[in-house]
This record gives sequence, C-alpha cells and structure tokens, in this order.
Amino acid sequence: MEFNESTIDKLADLLMIGLTPEENKMILDEFAIIDKNIDKINNIKGIENIKPMTHCLDDFKCELREDIAENSPSIDDLLANCKKVDGREVEVPKVVE
Amino acid sequence: MNEYYLTIGLEMHCEGSLTNSKVFSSGKNEYSDLPNCNVSPVDMGFPGVLPVLNKQALKHAIIMSLILHARIPEYMYFERKNYYYPDLPKGYQITQNPPEECVGNGGYIDIEREDGSTFRVEIDNFHLEEDAAQLTHLYDTSTINYNRAGNPLYELVTKPCLHSADDAVRFLEHIRSIYQYCGISEADSKKGHLRCDVNVSVSKDPNKLGTKVEIKNVNSFSSVRETILAESQRQIDLINAGKEAEIIQETRRWDEGTGTTIGMRDKVDAEDYKYFVEPNIPPYKLEASWIEEIKASIPKLPYERKNSYINDLGLSPYDANIIIKEKAISDYYDECIKLGIEAKSAANWLTVNILGYLNKEFQKIEDFFITPTMLKTILDKQKEGVISSKQAKDIFAEALEKHIDPKELISSDNMQLNDEETIRTIVKDILANNEANVTAYKNGKTNLFQFFVGNVMKETKGKANPSLTAKIVEEELNK
Amino acid sequence: MDKTITELHEELKNNHVTSQALVDEAIKKSHEVQEKCNAFVTILDDAKGSDVTDDLLSGIPFGIKDNYSTKGILSTGSSNTLKDYVPFFTATAIENLMSHGCIPVNKTCMDEFGMGGTGTTAHTGVQKNPWDPTRMTAGSSSGSAAAVAAGVYPFATASDSGDSIRKPAAYCGIVGYKPTYGMISRYGLFAYVSSLDTCGVMTRSVTDAAIVVDAMKGIDPKDMTSWDSSDIHLYQDLTKEVSGKKLFYIKEIVDKNHYTNLPRETEEHLDNFMKTIDIVRSLGIEVDEVSIDQDILNAIASTYVVLGCAEATSNMSNLTGFSFGPRGEGNSFQEIMKDHRTKGFSSLIKRRFVIGSYVLQTVNQERYFKNAQRARRLIVDTIKEQFKKYDGLIMPVGTGVAPKLDNTDRVTDDELTPLEEHLQIGNFGGFPSITIPNGFINNLPVGINITGNCYDDQNVLNIAYALESKMNYKNQIAKEVK
Repeated sequence: MEFNESTIDKLADLLMIGLTPEENKMILDEFAIIDKNIDKINNIKGIENIKPMTHCLDDFKCELREDIAENSPSIDDLLANCKKVDGREVEVPKVVE
Repeated sequence: MNEYYLTIGLEMHCEGSLTNSKVFSSGKNEYSDLPNCNVSPVDMGFPGVLPVLNKQALKHAIIMSLILHARIPEYMYFERKNYYYPDLPKGYQITQNPPEECVGNGGYIDIEREDGSTFRVEIDNFHLEEDAAQLTHLYDTSTINYNRAGNPLYELVTKPCLHSADDAVRFLEHIRSIYQYCGISEADSKKGHLRCDVNVSVSKDPNKLGTKVEIKNVNSFSSVRETILAESQRQIDLINAGKEAEIIQETRRWDEGTGTTIGMRDKVDAEDYKYFVEPNIPPYKLEASWIEEIKASIPKLPYERKNSYINDLGLSPYDANIIIKEKAISDYYDECIKLGIEAKSAANWLTVNILGYLNKEFQKIEDFFITPTMLKTILDKQKEGVISSKQAKDIFAEALEKHIDPKELISSDNMQLNDEETIRTIVKDILANNEANVTAYKNGKTNLFQFFVGNVMKETKGKANPSLTAKIVEEELNK
Repeated sequence: MDKTITELHEELKNNHVTSQALVDEAIKKSHEVQEKCNAFVTILDDAKGSDVTDDLLSGIPFGIKDNYSTKGILSTGSSNTLKDYVPFFTATAIENLMSHGCIPVNKTCMDEFGMGGTGTTAHTGVQKNPWDPTRMTAGSSSGSAAAVAAGVYPFATASDSGDSIRKPAAYCGIVGYKPTYGMISRYGLFAYVSSLDTCGVMTRSVTDAAIVVDAMKGIDPKDMTSWDSSDIHLYQDLTKEVSGKKLFYIKEIVDKNHYTNLPRETEEHLDNFMKTIDIVRSLGIEVDEVSIDQDILNAIASTYVVLGCAEATSNMSNLTGFSFGPRGEGNSFQEIMKDHRTKGFSSLIKRRFVIGSYVLQTVNQERYFKNAQRARRLIVDTIKEQFKKYDGLIMPVGTGVAPKLDNTDRVTDDELTPLEEHLQIGNFGGFPSITIPNGFINNLPVGINITGNCYDDQNVLNIAYALESKMNYKNQIAKEVK
C-alpha cells in the first residue's frame, strides 16, 4: 500500500477522523521523514534477527488476579458523563448491521 | 451428494459463565436482567483503566487446551484486535493471535458416534479473549449494556476437517459437554453462551478443497446442522447448474425464517485489525508445575464416564450416551449409583421417566424435585415388595406433582397387601359369594379365573400383591 | 511557597504557617501563573487545608497533571474530546499521594494526551515558560513544570513517555524525575504509549522528588506492570556518599567535534555540560566517554515516533463520545463518533493517528512497527551492556535552552536529533532517569540528566543529590528574563 493522499484519507476515515487538505498534506510530509528514518533502522545489520520488544521491562514477573468480583459502581457514576441515556443504558443512533 | 465431498470448519465461541469475575477486570461475571449492574470502569473503557488477567479464566483455558491435546506456549501473550463498534468500549478487543501464541496451538480431539465408530477433529487453535457489550436495537436507537462486556470468551477453531453435518453437531455437543463437565461454562445456548461460525465448501475432488464460504453467528446446534445442509446444497446446485463461478469466498448468515443462507453486504476491503501485543499484560510464564496441577484437577470427562457405565455397570451404549450428554444428568446418575440403586434400574428411571418429564416440562435436572435419595426410597420399597411397580410410578408422579417426599406417600393405607392370611380370607369370601361361577369354572370355563382375581383387586383397592393373589385363588379353586 | 517540602513541613509543625494559608497562597499564585503562562486546566479555588501530621507531605498543596484521573475533578488530558469529563475514580498514584495528607490545588495543562513536546497543543491554549513567556516550556508536562518553576507549590505530578518530565524540567530550571517503569501504578493515568508511559514528579530539589515518589509508588493490583518496591525508601536512603560510582556519556552526542554545524548556543550547552562533568568527577565519581554505534543513535527518534503513533492510535480508540466526553452530531454512530473525534482532537494527534494506523497495518507492520520494536531492543541492550560497567548514563538535556514559541530559533538539523531526543532511551528501557538544572545560558536554565538501570532508582537519585549539592540551582524559582 503506497502512502499517498488517498491512503491518508482512507486511513483517517477508518479512524473516524476528518482531515483538512492541509492536514493531509502535512501527514504526507511528516511521513516522508519517518519513512526516510525507518530506512536507517532497516539498514541496521541483523535487525531482522532481533526479537521485537513489546513490553517495557524484560523478565518481568507478575501475579495474575484471583477470581474475586468487585461490586459495580453506582449507575449514576457509570452514566454521569454520558450525554444520551436510555434508562440504565447508553443510547446511540440505531446500529444497522 | 455422493459425488460431492463436503468439508466443514468450525469456530466455536463459548462464554465462560462460571468465573466470578470478568477476564480482564474485577467486574462481576453474572447474568442480570438489570442493565449495567455488573460493570467495572475497565469494562466501559474509561480513560486510564488497565486490564488485569483473571487467573481462573486462564486456568479454564488451559484445561481446554490440555483436553484438546494442544501445544501450550511457554509464555502467555495477549494481543489487541483493533476495530470500532459501539459494543467495543475500548476500540479494541483483547484476544490472542497468532495460533502459536494462543493458549492452545494445534491439537485434536476424537469424537465417538452413537454406533461406536470414531472420528478425529483437528484443532487449529484455542484462545482466550473478552466478550463485547450487548446492543439492544430499538425503533431508531440502539442501547448499550456493558454487563457482558469483558466476560471470558473461549474460541475454538477447527481445521477444515469435518465432512458431515451430523459429525459437526456431534463435535459441538461433545465440546459443550466438556465445558460443562469442567465447570467452565453452563454452555447454554438459550443464555447466548454459544455462538458458532461455520465454514462450508464442497468439491468433486476429495483431495482439493472447494471455495470456502463462512456463515457467521449461528447460535444453536440445530441451526448449525441446517446451515451446513442448506449451504452445501446451495453450492452443489450452483455447480450442477454450471454456475460454479458464483460460489465466492464470502461471509453469509443463516436465516431461520427461510431456511437459507444469505450473503452479507460485502465490505469494500477486508477489515485490517492491526493486531499488536497488548503492552499492559506482561508475558506470563506458564510454569510446568502449574500446568501439571491443572492437569491433575481435570474431572472425569464424558467418554470416561460412558466407558465406565458400559464396562463397569453394564449399561447399553444407547443409555450411556444419553446419560453423559449433560454433566448434571450424569452427576444425578452417579449419585443414584453411589446410593446403591441398581445400575440398570437407575438408568431406566433416568432415561425414561425423569428425562421424559424434563423434556416435556422444559425443566433442568438441577431443578428437578425428586432427588436420587427420594428415588431410592421408592425403588427400595418396590424391591421389598411393599409397593407394586405401578404404585412406584404413581408415587413418583404424585410426589413430583405435589412436591411431597415419597416417604410420606408410602404409608400403611397404600402399601401393597402381601399378607397371605388376609388375602386368603378375602378369596374365600369371594368364592363363597359366587358359587355359580365357581361351578362354571370347575366345568371348564377357565377364563373365569381372572374374574376372581379382579374381584380381589376391587375388594383391596388394587393393593393385593397380584402374583400372590393369583396363587391363592388357584389353590382355593382347586381345593 | 518557594520552599522545599521539608522546609514547609518544619514551618507547619512549628505553627509558623497553617496548611490553609499554604493552600490559599498556592491558589493565589496559581491565578497569577495562569495569567502569565496559561499553565492550568482547572484551579481548585475551594481547596481546603488539611491536618498536619508527622508525614512530610501533610498539609502541603500540590498540582496534578491533567492526564491523571481525579474523582469529582475535571480531567481532560488537555483534549477537547474530554473537555467536560469528570471521573468517578482517582488514579492509584494520586490516591497514594493524597493518603499522605497533601492537597491538590490545580490540574495542570499538557500537550494533548501527552503527545507532543512543546506544551502548545493543550485545548486551553499555548503554555508559556515562566522564565521567558516568549519561549516554550517543552512538554508534555508543561503546566506542571511551569507551576513548580514559578513557585506555586513545591511539587506537581507529571508523566513521561519520551522525555515529557525531563525536558520541561530542564527548560524550566527544576528537577524532573521519571522512576523505573512500573514503580508507580499507571491505573488512572490516561494512556498514551502504554509500553513507555511512566508516572513521575516535578520538584525543585532531588530530596523533594524522593519524598513524593516514595508516596506515589507501590505495586497495584489494578496494574499488572507495577512491581513491589516496598524495600525501596528513596528519601530515607538518600546519601551524598557517591565516591567510587561510575558514569558514562555518549561520545557521538556530546563531543563538539562530532558536529559539522553546531549552533553557538548548543556549543555553550555542551561546554557547560563538560564543566558539570568536572564537578561530578570532584565527587569521586569516575566519568568515561563511551562510543555508541551512530546507527543506533540515529534510530532513537524514529523508533519513538513509530511506537508512539502506533500505540496512541489504539489507546485513544476509547474516545468515541458515547459514554463520556461531548457527543458528536450525526445520524449514525459512525457520524457522531467521527464528528466527536474530528472536533475533539488537535491536528497533531490526528496526523499521528493516521501514521500510527498505517504502521500497524498488517502489510506494513514488519517494515515499521516491528522493526521499531526491534530497534528498541537493540538500543536498550546496547545501553544495558554499559550498565554492567557503569552506574549510569550522564547526558546534557536537549540542544540548549527553551526554544522560542514562534519557532524563530528552531534548529532542525538531522545531526542534532540524537542530542535532542536521547532521553527517549530512558523510556525504551524503563530506566530511572532524573533531570536537574546545571546552569544558565543567556540567563535561561539548562539541565543535565542521569539515567540508570532498571530498579536502580536509589543510585540515580543519590548521584543527582550529591551533584545538586555542589551546584547553586537547588530550589530555584523562575525569574522572568526581560
């Protein structure tokens, strides 16, 4: 997939964000720099043999959570920031499959 | 169909209904009719929340993995599957991907058919993920209930290795019973615990797969069967009509009303889920000692019980199959055996009387009034000859109807009459009052024998022991 | 309010001042700094003083970066997507802190959700540097840095994903401390780059940083990446006995001769760094110059951008306006969500989302995202190799003083990028890292940074503590440069 203006618009649409033509152009320019810099990484010898670092701390030991349920916050708290409520639920326009 | 080779692959989702809390939060995992009463901030994706893996949910996933003979990786990783939908509060689902990082990678399970033959189902992967919220669609709005959001969800993906709708359903039923036997899920379709995606293809060449069509969200096993039959027939019809090109790799849905599969509006591009490792859940090392501990904790599974019913208790494979299908029924049966009820008699009562009643009344055995102990009381009295087999059934029915302990119903006034002396007195009375019939009998009208027995029964309100009565009547008549 | 925590505690204990008086003064000062620097999203005018106990933090006012969830207090992350969001739960780090009796008096501005290093992208407007309002504070913890530098209170919480604590600290002439990843719970901290995000603090002295992080840290059952630090007592174990310790700096970044076109100010900054190294050596610390592969240094900035954009686009997918934040307009869920996000996010964030989503696409992951993750490991392993020999890495912060807000003095030279961005190494490895002021260039503060190996926070703080005591910048308050 080439990184061009229509790719940008398509990605933005999937991200549910609208872009102005100026923003689209800026992304194109910013990406060109990233693309150039990523080549610096890809040119590092033996990079392909390194295990991607997905977490911050290596050899980190953590405990799993015991299966104990906690009480739900009050419905007033849960919905306090919701602008459209129907009864005890969050309301959205009808979701059509 | 003979000239066509049908291939089926299944993706079976099962909600883990038997943990206390959700898979990545401390929210309560409990069904409720009240919306948004079992929700933690994590389940609604409020800013700043973090996932914390539930040990019990992972344990359940490992149990399944072990049963499926799957490879369990050394470290547990989770991934984010990114997409936007109002039922997905964080904008991504925490799941596992690719197969080599799933809690179960590869594997197989052997399934037994009713006729004793077996077939093997190859597993692609088995993984643990979180469920989405529930949307309710109203006239022009939809509402979001987060109670279900974050519940543990287990997904089992088979290879395309099944070749008949019946085998597909046998496989699903067996897996469902394993979920129940292991206490992982009630696996109740009516509660929406089970959802299947079905992949169907047909081919004339048994060595080559045809074009795969996926049918999504088939929610009962009977629908799975019908889906496979309808979709394979649709594909065969197209091939026969020379329209093979019209079978395309697509997603369809099962339409209950018309009994057909219907193509879903195709998205222009397949969605790219942009999977990447969830950075908030550190790789968790699965210690061999823990896996061993879990292995040792796996209870007796359906086939083990079946074999023991057949080999140790002498049940017919037919009865054994019926009893193991649901864990609760099998547990009921085991309790009966433990109490000392004779194996075949218990099986007979369970498969005929009890299951007959439950099916008719749409009841579950967990809610069934007659406990194994009560059943034993009835059967013991029958065995002792205190009540007849008919009386046993009557007492069973009355106890069930009135919710009365059968013990109370087996009292002196309905006990079987076994006292020879008493019966003989009654018989003598009857013969004395029916001299004409006695003479007729003695002159060869032997069918009058039943007339005398019938009168004894009438006199004793049916409580006289029938065989004993017949014996005494014969003795008295032949005097 | 221009005193340290220990000094204020002394005054409170001796009844020279009341907690309420301190709170009132902090609120008054907040309004002044707001006018001058635009440092706050919320000023809590009703904040009340608290009981003074033996706890050093009791009764003392402080500030909270606005990406910490605070119950009943507006928490926006400086974004329009959350401009009206009032949480019903408080971040663990803040709960821990407040259990010591200190009093929040404001929520500080930041680059929207921590993204951006300028302090200019908050939904409430551009943040100005208290030393010179024509200059930036850098970001993303811009408001916390400005408020602490201006003497509103002795400390403010902050967070750091690339250098968001440690660079603004340098530009504002204060102390910025990012502990080891996971020492402080992230529960309730709005996520930006989850594998890099670290809670921390801005103060005016190393001692205060130790006191505050002692109070914030601790394993949290709500954060699987947090760890048990109950045997670490930063304040109690603070010592200037650092003789015999060993530090290194990176030759390719610090050596003036390495550059073909070095701006004068940067040259002064590097000279000043070397003068500080002399002070470090005078403490009995051995400091070596170590050469690191230039390819690895060149990879730092792009590694950060790719990882940051990718994780951020996923982390901020919960911002839909459905159950919190303003509702967008439209007839379908897609329309109202798009409206919410289009209106809610600043241009910078939107641009980075697009890039983040591109580098995460299945076909692009290898080239961009996975290779950035590989480069991250390479960088971390390279530095950890040095930590086998050295107690820490000591480096100048940035290319000099705070840049002008109008960008007129901005130098964008590729060869300066590693100098500008090397603090990101601390986030890649989860290393404890502290910036302290080490002088002035043209009357504007500059900073020096010490970074150590994971879990070695005490060592890092001790070195900074000893060095601080040999310089004259401890507890300095911003004096506006005319």
